[in-house]
Amino acid sequence: MNGVIAGISYRALLGRRRIWLLIMLPVVLIGLAVLLRVIGSGGENATITLMRTFAIGTMLPLLGLIAGTGVIAPEIDDGTIIHLLAKPISRPVIAQTKFLVAASILALFAAVPTFVAAYLLVGLESGVASGFAVGALVGGVAYAAVFMLLGVLTRHAVTIGIVYALVWEGVVGNFVPGARRFSIQQWAQSIADQLSSSPFFSTEITLGFAVPALLIVTVGAVVWAGQRLRSFSLTGDE
Amino acid sequence: MSEPTGVIHDIGYRHYDGVRLGRAHATLALALHSLRGVFGLGRTARAKIIPFLLAGVMMLPAVVSIAIMALIKQEAIGYTTYAVTMQAVLAIFLASQSPYTVAPDLRFRVLPLYLSRPVTLIDYVGAKLAAMVVAMFLLLAVPLTVLFVGELVIDLPGPAHTSAYLTSMAGAVAYAVLLSCLGVAIASFTPRRGLGVASVIAFYLLTSAVSTVVAATLESVNDYTAAAWAWMINPFFLVDAAVQVGLFGAAPSAPTTYPAGAGVAVAILLMLALIALSVTALVLRYRKAAAR
Repeated sequence: MNGVIAGISYRALLGRRRIWLLIMLPVVLIGLAVLLRVIGSGGENATITLMRTFAIGTMLPLLGLIAGTGVIAPEIDDGTIIHLLAKPISRPVIAQTKFLVAASILALFAAVPTFVAAYLLVGLESGVASGFAVGALVGGVAYAAVFMLLGVLTRHAVTIGIVYALVWEGVVGNFVPGARRFSIQQWAQSIADQLSSSPFFSTEITLGFAVPALLIVTVGAVVWAGQRLRSFSLTGDE
Repeated sequence: MSEPTGVIHDIGYRHYDGVRLGRAHATLALALHSLRGVFGLGRTARAKIIPFLLAGVMMLPAVVSIAIMALIKQEAIGYTTYAVTMQAVLAIFLASQSPYTVAPDLRFRVLPLYLSRPVTLIDYVGAKLAAMVVAMFLLLAVPLTVLFVGELVIDLPGPAHTSAYLTSMAGAVAYAVLLSCLGVAIASFTPRRGLGVASVIAFYLLTSAVSTVVAATLESVNDYTAAAWAWMINPFFLVDAAVQVGLFGAAPSAPTTYPAGAGVAVAILLMLALIALSVTALVLRYRKAAAR
């Protein structure tokens, strides 16, 4: 953890137009929760549908993509990463710091609004709010690590990230049950399911698979990103 | 006595005496260059992977459908539902390629170089938009045409679906114009390609998720009229409602019926308003960028 690098990364994430995207997504989630409440169909079942399809299914991967690639990809695009890599700071430490920044942003912009939206709808009933908040937090941390790694590996990180989140987790996961085992969203939902006692909510991935998978993916991605930075070569822009 | 300094020497540069092709030609060249760039032609091999992969995925349902028609003589996928079925792929293509058309020129501040030629600002914006519109149209029209040719060759029992094919082609034009205007306008607000990609896909995912959630909620309280409007938050269903269903009377591709009567007029107006808004935003954005 390096304070200066963390400060630079926070400024890059929060100081530009990126912040509007980061704010807009949670605002829409809370707006939908308010709408559901006003219409009066805010039961536990509707809450869980909103959380699954919107909070975990749409908002979390998008925020993960924006924050995860946002901490490192713009610097690589600009070439300013050279100045960072030329300093006597261990490259794995750079990767770890940037990962922590992205993860903290996701905790603030994904996990907290998820809790607020679920709380608006059902209060603390059967642990839905806290369950999904923890699920969003853990899933967000994993997304941050994976998308940061993608940002280091390729210039087309955002597009590849979208294809993973939309095509693999969305379309393929709907038709091929096996693909669901390798989806961060599903792991996050398993955690949420474990913490809530709602009868309307069940997941197929067991906790015994989801927790080790989340740990391996997160730690593996951060370590790999650090190793990759050690032998990083800047290639020209196309 | 010393030589006088500061003399401009004649080192043999010559004037261009050939034909000057003018503004229209320059605009056309810019549009063509942008269109090639959208598909990665004239760029590195890595830039070709994503557009051609997505174009290949767009072809898959047509190819599978032709195979099904040939084997069991049955229609598999409708023409007018093609775009809605493949909306995720179209959205990813739009998100990944529309920032390419605008972001590099903004980022490297080369706009004054373009504008020092006969090309005006409107020409520049028009050329970029036209390139994206044509690219999106090709992405959708080529599979539809292949499907139609396949149907004619296989010669299914009963009449050919010529009117459905023509409706879907009109729909493809509308899809291409609306999506490209929205995509390029959103992408033009940031000079960074990565953020542009994320913004465009966030727009699509937000509208589609919001329309699904709101429509499902309204249907759960039996308000089907409002639910039909809520589906149209998604731009894909908006075009379907306005053009394919509204103007040409196709069957709706959304899991609902759209508002009829005056609803059609409102849907068309909404679509045109969105296009006008995007183009205005784009022109204003470029006025500001060119002034710097």
